[in-house]
Amino acid sequence: MSNIDRRSLVKGSLAAMMAGAAFSRAAFAQSSEPILLGVSGPLTGPNAQYGTQWKQGFDLALDEIQAAGGINGRKLAYQFEDSQSDPRQSVAIAQKFVSDPRIVMELGDFSSPASMAASPIYQRGGLVQFGFTNSHPDFTKGGDFMWSTSVSQADEQPLLASYAVRRLGLKKLAVLHLNTDWGRTSRDYFVKAAKEYGAEVAVTEGYIAEERDFRSTLVRVRDANPDGLILISYYSDGALIARQARQVGLKQTICAASSVYSPKFLELGGEAVEDVHLGTRYFPQDPRPEVKKFIAGFKAKYGGQEPDAFNAYSYDAMNMAAAVVKIGGTDRRAIRDAFAKVKDVSSVIFGAATFDVESRRVKGAMNAELVVRKGQFALWDGKPT
Amino acid sequence: MSSWLDYTINGLIVGNVYALVAVGLALIFGVSRLINFAQGSIYLVGAYIGWVAVVQLHTPLPLTILVVAVAAALVGLIIERFGLRPLQNSVRIAPLLATIGISFVLDQLVMLTFSPNPRALPSQLPDVRFQVGNGTIGPLDLLIAGVGITSALLLFVFLRYSKLGWAVRATAQDRDAAMQMGVDVNRVNQAVFGIAAALGGVSGMLVGMYYNQIDTAMSLQATLKGVVAEVVGGAGNVPGAVIGSLLLGLVESYGVAVFGTSYRNLFAFLLLVVVLVLRPNGLFASARQAPPEPLTGTFIAPSRPVRIPRWALLVAAGGFAILPLFPVSFYVLQTLINAWLLGMLALSLTLVAGTIGQVSLGHAALLAIGAYTSALLSLTLSVPVGLAIIGGGLMSAALGTLLISPSFRLRGHYVSIATLAIGEIVSLVILNWESVTRGPIGISGIPPLSLFGYDLISPTSIYWFSLAVMVVLALLQARLLGSHLGRSFRAIRDDDIAARAYGLSLNRYKSLAFIFGGFAAGVSGGIAAHLYSYINHETFNTQQSILALTVVILGGLGNVVGAIVGSVALVGLPEVFRLAAEYRILIYGIVLLLLVRFRPQGLLGTI
Repeated sequence: MSNIDRRSLVKGSLAAMMAGAAFSRAAFAQSSEPILLGVSGPLTGPNAQYGTQWKQGFDLALDEIQAAGGINGRKLAYQFEDSQSDPRQSVAIAQKFVSDPRIVMELGDFSSPASMAASPIYQRGGLVQFGFTNSHPDFTKGGDFMWSTSVSQADEQPLLASYAVRRLGLKKLAVLHLNTDWGRTSRDYFVKAAKEYGAEVAVTEGYIAEERDFRSTLVRVRDANPDGLILISYYSDGALIARQARQVGLKQTICAASSVYSPKFLELGGEAVEDVHLGTRYFPQDPRPEVKKFIAGFKAKYGGQEPDAFNAYSYDAMNMAAAVVKIGGTDRRAIRDAFAKVKDVSSVIFGAATFDVESRRVKGAMNAELVVRKGQFALWDGKPT
Repeated sequence: MSSWLDYTINGLIVGNVYALVAVGLALIFGVSRLINFAQGSIYLVGAYIGWVAVVQLHTPLPLTILVVAVAAALVGLIIERFGLRPLQNSVRIAPLLATIGISFVLDQLVMLTFSPNPRALPSQLPDVRFQVGNGTIGPLDLLIAGVGITSALLLFVFLRYSKLGWAVRATAQDRDAAMQMGVDVNRVNQAVFGIAAALGGVSGMLVGMYYNQIDTAMSLQATLKGVVAEVVGGAGNVPGAVIGSLLLGLVESYGVAVFGTSYRNLFAFLLLVVVLVLRPNGLFASARQAPPEPLTGTFIAPSRPVRIPRWALLVAAGGFAILPLFPVSFYVLQTLINAWLLGMLALSLTLVAGTIGQVSLGHAALLAIGAYTSALLSLTLSVPVGLAIIGGGLMSAALGTLLISPSFRLRGHYVSIATLAIGEIVSLVILNWESVTRGPIGISGIPPLSLFGYDLISPTSIYWFSLAVMVVLALLQARLLGSHLGRSFRAIRDDDIAARAYGLSLNRYKSLAFIFGGFAAGVSGGIAAHLYSYINHETFNTQQSILALTVVILGGLGNVVGAIVGSVALVGLPEVFRLAAEYRILIYGIVLLLLVRFRPQGLLGTI
C-alpha cells in the first residue's frame, strides 16, 4: 500500500506541475495556497440540481470559515469536478484527486453507483471519501477511508414512523417510495418501525425517479383503503404525488420523509401540499443558534432564498471538513484519524456531530415535526388536520 | 370493479400526454424517415419559454400558446436549416446522430440559462374538477386532449387535401421523384420541422402546466415515451401516433393495476416489442406504405476507409502499452481504462450496427448482463474473477442473442427501436428481480480484478489488463471481418434480399454477429463490475447505449480501429473540457455536431 502511495505522489506532483496553472479556477487568487478539498458531484446530467445545491451550502460555509480566520490562518477551498453522477466519470475523478497532492480529502459523490464505484480507489489511494448524502448501508463498509454524515435511515425512519403512528394516530398506511437504494432501505426501516408501533402497512409501491404520473398508483393506494399516505420521496416527486393524490380525490393525511423539506416542495405542490406532515432535522423558526445562523446567512447570501435539506447537508459537510482539517492538518492519513477525534461539531442536522468510530457515521439526528400550514413549513401544534 | 374504470381513465389521461410528443415525432418520421431525438429537447425549450411567458411576462393562455408555438417553430427551423439540411446528401445515419448532438446542445443551453432546479409552471386555467368515476379530471386534461386530437386531425387534413401536404407525402414516399416533379423538398422539410417543433414546444408547456413542474431532465423521458407510442401506432402515421399513445397509456395503467408501480415501464416496452414482432410497421401502418428503408446498407456513404498502415497500428499499440512506464498520472491511465472498456463495447456495436447493419440502441443491456453475471458468479459461487468475467461474456452472448432474436426480421429504424426497448426491459428486470439481482440496493463488495490468483489493484495493472483484452478482441474481430463470415455480414447489410438469394441464412448470420458482439460487451461489463465494486440497475443506462452508438458512428461504421479511436475521443473530450465545468457537455455536443457535419462517414470511414 505504501508503495502505491509514494508512486502516486510522485506521479501526481508531476501531473500537478504540468497542469498546475490550469486548475486555478477553484483556487483563490491569494498568495498563500489554500487547503484544497476535492468535490465529486453532478453539475450536468439528470442530477445536476443537487450539485448546484451543494455549491450553495459549501460557499456559505466557506464564507463563514474564511471570516473566522480560515484553517489556522490558511484559507479553505474546494475543487468541484462534474461527475454527472456517472460511475465511469467518478472513478476517473477519484484517480485525479488521489494523484493530486494538493487535495487533502474528497467530498461526494451524489448517487450510490457513482460514489461506491470510486470507493476502492480512494481506499487504496489513502484519501478520505467523505460522502455526506450517501445513505447506502454499505457505503462506509468500503473501508476506513469512507466516512459519512448522511443521516442513517435506521435512525430517521423510526422517527417518521413514530410521528405518523404514535403522534398522528394513523393505523393503516400506504407507503410510496422511490425505488432506489435509498428509498428501498428507508421503506424497510419505516415498515419495521411502523409495525412495532402497532400500525398496519396496507400497501407499498416503489416508483422510478423519472416517473411523473402517479394516478394509477394512487388508485391502488385508494383500493387498499389506508388512513395515511407515507411518501419516501424527494421534493419534486413528493410534490407530484401530493398534487395527484388530491386530484384523484384522496383526502387522507400525508406524511413525508425529511428529503421533501425544500421551498421547492411548497412551490411545486401548491395547495395540494397544505397539511402535509413531515419530519425534518431543522425548521425555520428553530431556536438553535446554529440553525438561525445558517438560515440567516443563507438568505442574505442568496437573495432571500430559503435553504433546503440538500443545502443543509452540504453546509454541514463543509463545516465538518473544516473541523477535521483543523485537527488533522493536511496529511491525508492524519485527516482520516481526525474523523475519529472531532467532537461535537456544530451542525444543522445533528446539533452537535460526533462520529461513531465503529460505523464511521454520525448518530442522533435532530428531529422536528413539521406541517405545511398556509403554504409555509411550521412546527406541528399537535392539532389534527 | 369500479377501479377498472379509474385505471382506464388514468391510462387515457396519460396517453393523452404522450400523444402530444408522438404526433410531432410521427410527422418528422413520415417525411424524413428520421427519429428526431431532439424532439424532447424542443419540448423542454417550449416548457421553459412557457415559464418565461407565464411567470415573467404574465401573458394570458392563448397568447402564451402562441408565443411558445412561434418560438419553438423558430428553433425547429434553425435545427432544420443548420443542423440537418447540410447533411441531406450524406449517410442516412448522420442526421440521427445530429439530432442527438442537437438535443445535448439544447438541453445544456436550457440548463445553463435556467439552472437545473425544477420550477413550478402554474396552470392558467380555472381550477374546476369534474367527477369521472371516482377520480376527477380538470380543464387542462381536456385542453391537452383537445390539442392532441385537433392537431392530429388538422395534420391529417393538411397532408391529404392541401398542396403542401401532397408535397410532404410525395417527399416521404420518394424524395428524388418528388424533386423531379418540381417539389421544393427543402421547403417541405422546413414546413414539417416548423409544425412539429411548434407542436413539441406547446406540448412541453402544457405538460409542464399539467404537473406544475418543469425541469431539465424531462427531455429524454419525453423522447423515449414518444418514440414508443409513435412506433406502436405505426411510424410516420399521425392519427396512428395518437392511438398508439392512448394504448401505451392504457397498458401502463393496467400494468400498474395488476403488478404494481415498479412494473409500469416494463409493460410499456414489452408492448412495443410485441407490436414490433407481430406487426413490424406498427398497428395502423397502411399496407401501401413503402417498406422501411435500412438505416445503413445502401445509405452508407461510398467512403473509402482510411487505410492505416500496419506499422502505424503496431506503433500506436506499442505506445499505449508502454505508456504506464512513463510518468503519466493515474488519472490519465484511469481515463484510458474507461476508453478501453468503452472500446470493447464499441467493438461489439460496430460489428452488429456497422458490419451487419443492425443499429442497436440498447447495447448497455449487454454490459449489464455481463456485469451482473460476473459479479454474482464471483460473489455467490466464489468463481475466480478471470473465469467469472468470461462467464459474463458468455451469458451476454447467449442472453443478448436470445432476446434480440425475435426482432431479426425487422429492418432499419425498427431494429434500433426494438433494441432500445429490450435495453430498457433488461434494466427494469434487474430492478424488479430482487431475489437474484438484489433490486435497487444493487450489488456491493464485488471482489477486485484478479488473474491467476494475483489481484490487479494498481491502475497500471488494470490498464494493461483492459488494454490487452481489448486488443485481443479487436484482433479477433479484424480476423473475423477478413474471413468469409465478414463478407457475408456485409452482404446482408448492403442488400439482404440479394444475400438471401445467394443462400445466406440471415438469422444465422445475425445470431453469429450478436454472439460475438455480446461476448465483447459482456466482458467489458464484467471488468467494469470488478473495477467499480458496486453496481446497480442505473450503472449501465440508456445514455451509455447512446454514447456507444455515437462512438461507433464517429469512428466509422464497422471499422475496428475506428471504434477504438472513437472511444478514446469520446471518453477523452469530456475530460479535456473539464476546465469548462458546467459548459463541458455543451462543448461536447457542439464538437459532435461539427464532426457529423464535416465527416459524416466517421473519422476513419466505413468498412
